[in-house]
Amino acid sequence: MFRSNNVAARTFERQICTPSPGTSIQRARRFYENLVPSCTIYDVECPDHSFRKFTDDGQYLISFSRNHQDLIVYRPTWLSFSCKDEDCDTRDLPSKAKKFESFFTQLYCVQLASTSEFICKDFFIYIENNQFGLFATSTTQIHDAPAAGGAIQGIPYIEKITFHLLRLEDGVILDERVFHNDYVNLAHSMGVYLYDDLLAIVSLRYQTIHILQIRDSGNLVDVRAIGEFCSEDDELFLNSNPQVPVNHVGNGLQPNQSIPNSSFLSGIKQRLLSFIFRGIWAEETDQTLRIQCLKKKFYFHFQDYVDLIIWKVQFLDRHHLLIKFGSVDGGMSRNVDHHRAFFAVYNMETTKVVAFYQNSSEELYFLFEQFCDHFHATSKNSLSMNFISSHSNNIHALEQLRCNKNKSNIFPQFVKKMLASLPFSCQSQSPSPYFDQSLFRFDEKLISATDRHRQSTDHLIKFIARRQPYSLKFKIKPGPEAGSTDGRTKKISTFLFHPILPFALSVQQTLFLQPSVVNIHFRR
Amino acid sequence: MNSSTGTSAGGGGGRGKSWPSTTSVSASGKRIQKEMSDLNLDPPSDCSAGPKGDNLYHWVATLIGTPYEDGIFFLDITFPSEYPFKPPEAAFGLVHGFEKGSGLQVVFRTRIYHCNVDSTGNVSLDILKDSWSPALTISKVLLAVKSMFTNPDTYNPVVPGIARLYLADRAKHDELAAEWTLRFAR
Repeated sequence: MFRSNNVAARTFERQICTPSPGTSIQRARRFYENLVPSCTIYDVECPDHSFRKFTDDGQYLISFSRNHQDLIVYRPTWLSFSCKDEDCDTRDLPSKAKKFESFFTQLYCVQLASTSEFICKDFFIYIENNQFGLFATSTTQIHDAPAAGGAIQGIPYIEKITFHLLRLEDGVILDERVFHNDYVNLAHSMGVYLYDDLLAIVSLRYQTIHILQIRDSGNLVDVRAIGEFCSEDDELFLNSNPQVPVNHVGNGLQPNQSIPNSSFLSGIKQRLLSFIFRGIWAEETDQTLRIQCLKKKFYFHFQDYVDLIIWKVQFLDRHHLLIKFGSVDGGMSRNVDHHRAFFAVYNMETTKVVAFYQNSSEELYFLFEQFCDHFHATSKNSLSMNFISSHSNNIHALEQLRCNKNKSNIFPQFVKKMLASLPFSCQSQSPSPYFDQSLFRFDEKLISATDRHRQSTDHLIKFIARRQPYSLKFKIKPGPEAGSTDGRTKKISTFLFHPILPFALSVQQTLFLQPSVVNIHFRR
Repeated sequence: MNSSTGTSAGGGGGRGKSWPSTTSVSASGKRIQKEMSDLNLDPPSDCSAGPKGDNLYHWVATLIGTPYEDGIFFLDITFPSEYPFKPPEAAFGLVHGFEKGSGLQVVFRTRIYHCNVDSTGNVSLDILKDSWSPALTISKVLLAVKSMFTNPDTYNPVVPGIARLYLADRAKHDELAAEWTLRFAR
């Protein structure tokens, strides 16, 4: 059926037709085809901050000062200006309006980091229900740290990592959680995952998943720590039932050290190994074949399994965690192609491993292909997150995936590459409708919903309508209007799209600490 | 895998760095090899074991335990280079100081509530010490550890508290053992 793309026609249609059941939001979102951020103010005069992102409800713009000590929060407002002339619609904006301040109002500036600490500028998690923000500050990272007290060898450490819970409305710090001599992967919030009010923080150095709850009152409450032990009272239980070894303790010096250098497997490893063992055990019924099978598949690799470390974690729902295990060197390097990795689904309540896959598992890949949205576990009541395009909810994204799949010569490599994105990072995707692939087509090499810095080229980034007449709807160009004079310097661009308004910021940086070029893209 | 361990064991440890480099390596290696094939042919129920990686002298065993209902217990088994003959006492003394025995070290990697297993997981079993005989095999040891589950040696305990409870209040002991299993051995 032919539908006009004209905004007036669409408004009229909205008035007289009821959309098919369940599609009213999709129908409303089509208006974004008509309302696009096509007007650009180049190189806007703005405070020299590093802009992090818009919160997912569009209420706040988060930015950090250049010295990485202060948090500055803005409220996005819509531009308003007055104009004396008659034909002000066609005229250029008055220069007074072309300012950062006409789009943003500063709410407050809070110092988060003390002198020896820095705000981790890649880290920010928004708790939408309460409009809380989670920030991280840390002292500098120390490599080649000796492993002491149960720490893993080969993992660097940070003397002090502090997580700050802030009420974004007024910038009041509600609670803090400090990790001493530990290592949490803060880049792109990789080591932390939020689901509803539950927070999972992965201590790489001590191989512990800390589950915290964010209360409405603004407190961070420990729920459990998974690693050495599985249930929250295991350690208490162990200490209240001490096994007193008679033969080598004569000095009465023993309680309260339940983990002396014993060779016991950690709680999570025991669960993992017994799951693998049970699986192989059940595979074969014949006793002789079974033991052969165990010997080859289990005992031979036993030490490799024991040496695996928890690398990244995400929630699948309130009870299940998807845990990625890998080797120590695989955990720290970015290139994971060569390292073997494993995925385990762990139920926190029953303390059982539910599933276990290698990163070359085709079974897991097909699950990922068909049910990708189930891996994007976000809070239940976050409506905007339902519209982030993925290959399981969007035909165009699926087509793209199939195309990539056919292009790759070696299927196992493709599987590994795809599964490398699991577990997902928390809140790494922009809910902006301009990234909805059922509305717009764009070059994913240059721009995408995923929150990443990208190497900037002088190309215009085009957003083309998915529907007829497939016309160019708007263009985004980072950097100065005239293009850069120096073609050789490497430039990095970041794009911050407002989740609701036709409004975006593009920030282009050169590597030499020069002030960045900020462009504002909006609808006039 | 079977053949690869076979050749390296016969060659007397050409590439295995961690192997003891005594002349008896080959003899003990052959013996362990034979025990492995015997174990494979006639495995005891609810037990299994095999070498860790390609090191013939380090094994892992798994026991599925009762009354430690549904527990999966992993054990490390380390063979001395002089296996199956008694080792010089000093070699074993590194671990315990004053015991003598088979030199065969059996250590639980899974926490267990048992009067014959100390707080670091070392199994204290008569046949691993004074009653060791070169005629015993790894299958026999596994069976002994397994029967230890149902019949603990309460008269030679390493954790007297557990032994006392076992003798005084069996039901309570079993209940606690089951809870340990639930918490640490699932």
